Amino acid sequence: MSIAIRALIKRFGHFTALAGINLDIQTGELVALLGPSGCGKTTLLRIIAGLENADSGAIQFDGQEAGHRHVRDRNVGFVFQHYALFQHMTVFENIAFGLRVRPRARRLGEIQIRAKVQELLSLIQLEWLAGRYPSQLSGGQRQRIALARALAVEPQVLLLDEPFGALDTKVRKELRRWLRRLHDELHMTSVFVTHDQEEALEVADRIVVMNHGQIEQIGSPQEVYDTPATPFVYQFLGHINLFKGRAHAGWVRLGGLRVPAPEYQNAKHTPAMAYVRPHDIDLLREPEDGDTTLAATVSRVSILGSLVRLELLQQSDGEIAEVEMTRERYATDPLQPGDAVFVKPRQLRIFLRDDSIDYPPVYWNGGGI
Amino acid sequence: MQFRLKQRSVLPGFNLALGYTLLYMSLIVLIPLSAAFIKTADLTWTEFWAVVTTPRVLASYRLTFGASLIAALINVSAGLVIAWVLVRYSFPGKRLVDAMVDLPFALPTAVAGIALTALYASNGWIGSVLALIGIKVAFTPLGVVVALVFISLPFVIRTVQPVLEDLEAEVEEAAACLGATRWQTFRWIIFPAVRPALLTGFTLAFARCIGEYGSVIFIAGNLPMVSEITPLLIVTKLEQYDYRGATAIAVVMLVISFLLLLLINLLQWWSRQRHAI
Repeated sequence: MSIAIRALIKRFGHFTALAGINLDIQTGELVALLGPSGCGKTTLLRIIAGLENADSGAIQFDGQEAGHRHVRDRNVGFVFQHYALFQHMTVFENIAFGLRVRPRARRLGEIQIRAKVQELLSLIQLEWLAGRYPSQLSGGQRQRIALARALAVEPQVLLLDEPFGALDTKVRKELRRWLRRLHDELHMTSVFVTHDQEEALEVADRIVVMNHGQIEQIGSPQEVYDTPATPFVYQFLGHINLFKGRAHAGWVRLGGLRVPAPEYQNAKHTPAMAYVRPHDIDLLREPEDGDTTLAATVSRVSILGSLVRLELLQQSDGEIAEVEMTRERYATDPLQPGDAVFVKPRQLRIFLRDDSIDYPPVYWNGGGI
Repeated sequence: MQFRLKQRSVLPGFNLALGYTLLYMSLIVLIPLSAAFIKTADLTWTEFWAVVTTPRVLASYRLTFGASLIAALINVSAGLVIAWVLVRYSFPGKRLVDAMVDLPFALPTAVAGIALTALYASNGWIGSVLALIGIKVAFTPLGVVVALVFISLPFVIRTVQPVLEDLEAEVEEAAACLGATRWQTFRWIIFPAVRPALLTGFTLAFARCIGEYGSVIFIAGNLPMVSEITPLLIVTKLEQYDYRGATAIAVVMLVISFLLLLLINLLQWWSRQRHAI
């Protein structure tokens, strides 16, 4: 089933949770709503499910207006961050619940219900837990049960609200691979909310990056990572280095570095910022001709498995920059703290500094991409 | 295998705390109660049996336990609704209503009895209306039930309230997403979650009703064989200096109450076992 969202607005008192959202989700797609907490992604998901009502705007399922439909008539499967399993029921009864509460006319017989639940239990590979209670299960098992419960009613859309948020890293990685495989098997239109960029990049077909109740960019994982549309997307997805400077008549000067920026032909000494990924930087021992490098000093070297991360202090303003390279590359020229180097970005993206844009903090979260 | 009274535990103070508990329970509960049994031992079995099975006493057992059961059951359903309203909705004066719930705890029971009698007497505000349709409340067993409902109101509300507050809204949302109607969500999701608390509330209310004296004697009219409760019979016997007769009846009440409470506790234990929460 395809979902179309038009000019959706939702306010909670004075707080605008969604400020005019337009979004199309194709049949069979796995879409991630990605953004920092409070960006409105969960509210959007809950409005699609019918657990929350929009102030204005439209939601269409397969071209049919669905905004007025009650949650139980929308035929959506919803998976909650904290599982929301029925504590007093066994795993089996949890999964069977959606089948048992159907109107009598559409209700399956007991034998068919049993068969269906067994089928779902084998799909999530937890057949041996049928008789247990949720309190006896681990977090990962609970979330898989919650998923099976949502799938039991054969929903047309699967909505997952931070499905792996409450799990530890290892289980989270396992489960998201498993979710991806499951989606490839079932091809059900699925939307999941996450604040974890790595999760979104790994699992989703398309990523919707949200901030302050608005959509910043929609695109494939590669698109949003390689060609971020806004400074926010740049900063939110992956690590970045920020170089401050000024744009003037088609050129941008960043300390000792001068780069062409033909799109800012009309700029006149406008403050600008350059965004560079840590792995898009070459380090040279000698400066190049033609203002293509920035002088810096190595302040720290960390070996992170297959990668080496170097922390640099820029000579011009003392700001920190991060560079990542493979160990082989590092081995060809093992820089040590204190060494003077020249930074040469291979790829950078320049945005004019517009004070009307609220720049989010830079995420040096160490998660690593 | 060796029988061990005490499990090794990191929590300190087991000996002291247990000793204190036993001493306290003995002083406050066991010794006064066993005094009743010892006093009764003055009677022979035949005398004892004769005292506790006279028709008047038997009628009072029926009234006391029957009316208490009915009152506790009424409060289970009414208490659930009130607790639900207090937890789930916000309305002006909610805190006031919430505070009012505890009034029956604080009010001297005699005051409650007098007030209820004034209301439900055939010339009272409510009694005069009910009299028109031929219902008599004051000075009948019905009056006993009314008084008991009043004094045991807070128990169910106060035990169910915290459980309802802890019940995640997400669980209900999950049920709705799965296609459950409001009624199905209540029947299969909410009710099973509050059932243990309801049972506890019922037990407390029931126990309170069995022992109630002050409010009932005003509204019941205390007609022998009709609206005379067992606690009143005990007091009557005491006033006639029939101490042995009074304690004999008290012992019977004690035993029946203990058995009933034990039964309810077993029921509670059994339902918890079954649901392994």
